[in-house]
Amino acid sequence: MRPALLLTSRFALSAIFLYAAATKVPDMAGFAQDFANFRLVPPGLVPYGASAVVGIEVVLGLALATGFGARSAALAAGGLLVIFLGALAQALLRGIDLRCGCFGNDELASWWTVARDALLLVPAALVVWVKPDGQLGRSTTKY
Amino acid sequence: MRILAQALALCAAGAIIGMTGNGFTPRPAPLGARVTSTAEAPGAMCQLPGGRGPVVPRISVEEAKPLCVACSALFVDARSAAEYQSGHITGAIHLARGEPADPVLWRLGVYKTVIVYDRDPSCALADQVAKALLERGAQDVRVLTGAWPAWMAAGAPGAAGPCAVCGEHAQRGGP
Repeated sequence: MRPALLLTSRFALSAIFLYAAATKVPDMAGFAQDFANFRLVPPGLVPYGASAVVGIEVVLGLALATGFGARSAALAAGGLLVIFLGALAQALLRGIDLRCGCFGNDELASWWTVARDALLLVPAALVVWVKPDGQLGRSTTKY
Repeated sequence: MRILAQALALCAAGAIIGMTGNGFTPRPAPLGARVTSTAEAPGAMCQLPGGRGPVVPRISVEEAKPLCVACSALFVDARSAAEYQSGHITGAIHLARGEPADPVLWRLGVYKTVIVYDRDPSCALADQVAKALLERGAQDVRVLTGAWPAWMAAGAPGAAGPCAVCGEHAQRGGP
């Protein structure tokens, strides 16, 4: 049961990251603008940051899908989700109306998107910390 | 520590791949250029994020102010009800995103121009409400550049309190 849960978590995270990247690739300039609207990064770094985010999503998605460095990828995915959470929350608290840029569409940032990101931390944490036998801690078994 | 190092390595690899692959995408991010937020871009107040250009025509505070004074345009406040109550453009109707547009549509025979505004210079909420009005048949819908903060800064007419007209329609339950 536990290996199935971990596999599901891994594949779910992988699918979400790959889907998020795939929706951004057709319009990277648009995503760079969404990225700039968070007003967190100096304008000169925005295009680099935006393209880096998409590349990281692809690499983490592939790592989670293939199982190559899956725990490291889940840890990085968790870190990325925390950054997204912080960026969304600070924009909402500052009263900035913006599109979240999450999946390349016109979805507005809202507390729902924050909650959704927070929910994704659960599968990431499972992959990082839960062993297939249900113990917490470093996993030595490949799953 | 090893897992952390691997995670950082994956991120570094992803960042390099992303920046390299960016040039092969249909609309690449302009590496080397400055991308400012939509609200901060000079002369670009209330343009849609993504450089897609506004879908709803804009109107400046300077142009909108005389229309408000002469009551020749219908102003629509797309912010929250609480924000509307604490201060809004004189005569504006409150219509948040997703709410029925009937109170505005009923007045289209009286007002030729509808001006929608929200709280933020990026005008995301106002755009959505304006698009909904256009889809429902309104002909001349504009979005106020600079939004409510620019209106306040210009010393243009404002009022406070609940939306009496919206309440009236809510109580009547429709036309």
